[in-house]
Amino acid sequence: MKHVVKILTLLVAITALWFGLLQTSVIPRSHTWLLPIYFIVSLGCYGLLMVGIGLMYFPTCPQEALLLQQDLKHSQFQTQCRHWEGNFG
Amino acid sequence: MELADRIVGFLLSFISLSTFTYYTFWVIILPFVDSDHFIHQYFLPQEYAIFIPVFAGVVLLCFLCIFIGFVILKSKKKKA
Repeated sequence: MKHVVKILTLLVAITALWFGLLQTSVIPRSHTWLLPIYFIVSLGCYGLLMVGIGLMYFPTCPQEALLLQQDLKHSQFQTQCRHWEGNFG
Repeated sequence: MELADRIVGFLLSFISLSTFTYYTFWVIILPFVDSDHFIHQYFLPQEYAIFIPVFAGVVLLCFLCIFIGFVILKSKKKKA
């Protein structure tokens, strides 16, 4: 819930700044109209960057994977042994 | 596999950072540079700064809609 409030506050602040720029015409109007699109593009870039960083530093555990494979082989062998014991024991 | 993922992640980060830098330069800094400066040669006219993102957004939305439709059709076929 707090996150929503933060995002909404940021949005309202950006919109107020944009309206202020439009009203005071400090910057030419054609450039002020570009600002919302600029924010959307930067949001897209941020999302892409986060996905890239997540892919780069994705936590993998190769040692644990090896141990798990060994465990699997061991348990398979044990089930086979039990199967043989059941048939011929 | 792990190395390929890292390379893809690095490429994605690089593309996003370079896009952001270029677009920031184009939209925020370039209006304050004189129009006869040589740096204007490296950027398209200002209208394209709106046209290209809108076009990319529409293409992305179309792709998403087609993908979702495809997935829904596939799941319906599986149920039948």
